[in-house]
Amino acid sequence: MSTDSRGYWREELSLIAVLLLFFVGIVALSYHLPFDARLFPMVIGSAGILLTLGIAIEQVRRHGARDASTVDDDDPAAKADWPRYTTALLAAPAFGLMFWLVGFIVASLAAMLLIPVLMGYANRRQLVLTALLTVAILALIGPYLLNVDLPHGLVGDWLIDKFALRAS
Amino acid sequence: MIDNLILGLTAALQVKQFIFMVLGTVIGLWVGVLPGLGGPVAMAILIPFTFSMDPLSALLMLASISVGAAFGGSVTSILLNIPGEASSAATAYDGYPMAQQGNAKVAMGLSAGASMAAAIAGVLILMFASGPVAKAALAFSPAEYFALAILGLTVVSVAALGSTIKGLAMGALGIAIGLIGIDSILGSERYTFGFVYLLDGISFVPVMVGLFAITELTSMILQGGTIARAGRLEGSLWDGFWDTFRYPFTLVQSTAVGAFLGMIPGIGATAANFLAYSVAQRSSRHPERFGKGAPEGVIAPEASNNSCIPTSLIPALTLGIPGGATSAILLVAVTLQGLRPGPMLFTSNPELIWGFFMGLLVGAVIATVLYLVMIPWFALITIVRVELLAPMLLIITLFGAYANERNMMDVFVAIFFGLLGYFLRRHGYPLISLVIGLILGRLAEGSFHQALMISDHDYSVFILRPLSALIFAVCLVLVLWPGVKTRLRRGGAEAT
Repeated sequence: MSTDSRGYWREELSLIAVLLLFFVGIVALSYHLPFDARLFPMVIGSAGILLTLGIAIEQVRRHGARDASTVDDDDPAAKADWPRYTTALLAAPAFGLMFWLVGFIVASLAAMLLIPVLMGYANRRQLVLTALLTVAILALIGPYLLNVDLPHGLVGDWLIDKFALRAS
Repeated sequence: MIDNLILGLTAALQVKQFIFMVLGTVIGLWVGVLPGLGGPVAMAILIPFTFSMDPLSALLMLASISVGAAFGGSVTSILLNIPGEASSAATAYDGYPMAQQGNAKVAMGLSAGASMAAAIAGVLILMFASGPVAKAALAFSPAEYFALAILGLTVVSVAALGSTIKGLAMGALGIAIGLIGIDSILGSERYTFGFVYLLDGISFVPVMVGLFAITELTSMILQGGTIARAGRLEGSLWDGFWDTFRYPFTLVQSTAVGAFLGMIPGIGATAANFLAYSVAQRSSRHPERFGKGAPEGVIAPEASNNSCIPTSLIPALTLGIPGGATSAILLVAVTLQGLRPGPMLFTSNPELIWGFFMGLLVGAVIATVLYLVMIPWFALITIVRVELLAPMLLIITLFGAYANERNMMDVFVAIFFGLLGYFLRRHGYPLISLVIGLILGRLAEGSFHQALMISDHDYSVFILRPLSALIFAVCLVLVLWPGVKTRLRRGGAEAT
């Protein structure tokens, strides 16, 4: 069994374990609820546990028979090198964290400028132009067309408060 | 009837109404294309602007937004595998493979043809069947609603590509996620762990944005290159448009599925979209082509969601019961105009009602024309480098998740479901079943409890009511049929 297949198999088992844990949690945490409120969660949670156990048995049986699901030929993760794999998995959480901390505009500019570079994009001029245009358009559309104020983030709000205090 | 049609046509074809319909359609197409922002969001934002309009202009503009969004939602489903609208999610299953094969224009032509034909059929059904069908829908008891929700989940799980047991587990996961928040029966807090954000339950928009958009963007970053793998576009828009009518059975069948589900309050265009896709796959002579760029796989979901929108107005206008978010907002608009939805509306305001119906017919044609004019420009996105496209889409989709409720938590929920969706999809778990579970879960639980209350906690109510029993029997057949079919085939092969 290759390293890729072993990793894939471990991932499969981890997913099954997470699902099982979730459904067990649904059943266990419903005990303190009144009967009517816990009836449906009990039914769904129990069904989920049975189905997940069914999946686990099917996978273990197939694994024993050397018929376990293997990495798909079309799976992009199988061909990606580690910087690209890391970029793919961390791009959204990192953007979310920056969005929360430093606000939409700074986070968007950082994402537009960094992600392509991490993916190996070389045309810097086109990159900067696209980044500035995209962020500028969204910065106009949000507040003026959709009536959605762009958040400044925790750091941005702190800075605004600080400057506002200084001004007063 | 003829008098009403002429009256309606005269009212709808005024220049002022035409301008509002074009404006509404353009707004709808635009928000439909933006993942996370759908027709109901745009309608809700624009409701305050309709106060000063006359009732017909207000209703037509709001309805045009909904029609435009249904058309526009398919664009990103086909081009990017990211549904602009929840009700276009199933369109991505075959639309996106067509785009990858360089046939994005053909897929969008198919979508335009199916959407136009189904929207017109839906409006005609709305016109001629309003009264009788609303009465029939009213006869559905909670037991039947519960059975219908289970049927929806079963059909999707059984028809989903890959393992049926994984499909059913995803359905259970979707329902379980829908349980989070205050329960609708007793008002008890469930699984909130003291978080105020969770009291209202996990919002549907960030889950959809995560499961569809972020999941796809993760794969897109891993893949690199361009979406159209050959880096060029083949086929013609008009070929696709006319090709729609080479599949009359799929078109009629999916339009009927969407129109029927639209009339049942609470089911909605999203469920219709998935169900029509599953039904088309099951009834196809070549089900193995689905998911690999089958034209029927684009026609079925697009026909169903576009026929569903007009028919969802049947219970809304005749009984005041909204069939979904779109009809609920239209009901609010009707009320804000000082009108009262119900059977009396048809007799007291025939010009408004028939003008609205005729306006919807004209609106379907306007939406098709605008869609066809704008599509060639949209299609160019498939030959843009992913390195530039992916971060751009990432910030737009997460902005959409934030803009829906202006809540930062929605962004984190979208990211969580995006990464979860990536791993689930990689291991063959159908995300479609999770989404359907989430949509139908609340309906299922509410109906389940209502049925039990009405029957004084007699569980046999679900099988003693003939219609409910019939629907459950269909569920059972759907689950057992693949096994029975395999055995029958084996038996046949052994006999020969």
